[in-house]
Amino acid sequence: MSLLHKYGLHKYGWIAWTSARSHVAYLGEVIARTLFLIVILYIFLQLWRVTYSETQAQQLGGFTLAQMLWYLCITESMAISAPRVAQEVDQDVRTGALAVQLIRPMSYPLYRLWSSLGERCVRFSLNFAVSAVLAFLFVGAIPISLTGLFLFLIVLPIAFILDFLMMFLIGLGAFWLEDTTGLVLIYSRLLWLLGGLLIPLELFPESWQPILRNLPFATIIYAPARLFVHPTWNDAIAILLRQGVTLLILAIGVQWVYRIAVQRIHANGG
Amino acid sequence: MTAVQLAHLYKTFTFNRGWGRQRKQTEVTAVDHISLNVPEGQAIAFIGPNGAGKSTTIKMLTGILHPTAGTATVLGQVPWRDRRTLSRQIGVVFGQRSQLWYHLPPRDTLELLARIYDLDPQDYRKRREVLVERFGLSEFWSTPVRKLSLGQRMRAEVAASLLHSPQVVFLDEPTIGLDVLARQELRDLICEWNRQEGVTVFLTSHDTGDIERVAQRVVVINHGRIVLDAPVSQLRQQYLSEKILSVQFHTTILPFPILSGVRQLEATDYTLKLEIDTRLMPIEQVITQVLQAGSVADMAIEDPPLDAVIAHIYTQPAEERSP
Repeated sequence: MSLLHKYGLHKYGWIAWTSARSHVAYLGEVIARTLFLIVILYIFLQLWRVTYSETQAQQLGGFTLAQMLWYLCITESMAISAPRVAQEVDQDVRTGALAVQLIRPMSYPLYRLWSSLGERCVRFSLNFAVSAVLAFLFVGAIPISLTGLFLFLIVLPIAFILDFLMMFLIGLGAFWLEDTTGLVLIYSRLLWLLGGLLIPLELFPESWQPILRNLPFATIIYAPARLFVHPTWNDAIAILLRQGVTLLILAIGVQWVYRIAVQRIHANGG
Repeated sequence: MTAVQLAHLYKTFTFNRGWGRQRKQTEVTAVDHISLNVPEGQAIAFIGPNGAGKSTTIKMLTGILHPTAGTATVLGQVPWRDRRTLSRQIGVVFGQRSQLWYHLPPRDTLELLARIYDLDPQDYRKRREVLVERFGLSEFWSTPVRKLSLGQRMRAEVAASLLHSPQVVFLDEPTIGLDVLARQELRDLICEWNRQEGVTVFLTSHDTGDIERVAQRVVVINHGRIVLDAPVSQLRQQYLSEKILSVQFHTTILPFPILSGVRQLEATDYTLKLEIDTRLMPIEQVITQVLQAGSVADMAIEDPPLDAVIAHIYTQPAEERSP
């Protein structure tokens, strides 16, 4: 209890809870995204079916057809559940709402982080529940161990935090740029292409793989999905190390940019 | 004891225009050496037209903006240095920015604020009960904010800003956009809270009615400078003695008599707009004359707009303006 209060976790935890409840209200949007997910999964199931039968392979890059579809369930659910952090921060900066948040006894970046985590938990859970049912109907279950689930549940929230930090950083760009929409688009497309959204990194050219594995995009999308279908301690440790380094670099970057941004507010207003 | 103190507070904003060698810096003075003392428990209205420097001053007093020069203290603390500590002792409402969660009922925002301000659960429950009762929140306590009227939303906004029992409340245009009834209700609540709880109220507004009803003292600011600092009674007597009476008739009106202190601003077959100097002519007498002029369909009494009051202040010699 005292530890929770010491680090303010009680308030930030409640922010996440409030945000999660608030986003249940966006039921229409959640359903629309879920419908989109169903279509995407069905299309990719058919594409992969053709690919596997044409190549007459049991495995591609170490993935069976069932594993490939379950991999897609995780990556698509993650991509579709992404909160609009950059756009919200951008709006906070442009409308001056950021200044209003500064007059409360809390940290604005932590407020946004926990609020986005609450929202993402709701969205990801719903998306994953739907996609898991579909994957089960299409290709059946894949073996899941308790250890695998445990490793996945450690890596997943870190992936959410890394994604948040990238988007928060882009949102802070509103202090210097006319419009951050372009940056948001570039980031999301890079995340999808280089992060292994549609195909696992194992299917990229071999010379690319070491580079892609060490980019932040793979630690956000590929890493949790890979651990879900192929849980090994060695992979988990390597992924956690990469996530740790990325987290450290991004956290320092965010703190540095945010400090400069706040100085601009203090000088020129919200 | 002084709640808010400003000494030669000065703020300029710098804008850059153009690129390379064409790049030019423009400096705009938003607040120009304002000095002011607000005693604890006083309700002060800080008024002025758009761009006068009201919001900039509030942002400096709440620690968001740093001044270019001068000093200020709120409850003995320098806002921009002790922002976090001070935030627990002050409440702020920005009329054009909501602090309520749009898809959730007001009770959820209050629950969250209780945690953000680290309120003891028992103290929170007691405080919540008082606020719900006094601000009449029970009728929409469980209704999502998106379904509330603007008046209900503003009542909830002000109640939320009072949850952590602040000693000073900054209200930046709290009545903006409200209809007459909702505005009156909110003014009464702020007034009641100030008198009963002894909370210092720092109110900015465009509306002269807000000032008359809520504040004991008025500070008029224009181009970043104080042009009048006086008790509201003096403002009322000197500058708000004129009222605008707008009347609509069912039938064509008879010629309206010439009355001392009454000026016809507009007259058509069915409408009449009069400016009345209430020091020379009681408003009741004018209404009696209006009723004799024809069958009245609608009637409204308005305060002179703030711009007119400020223009009036400028026409006064400086020695007459001082309290």
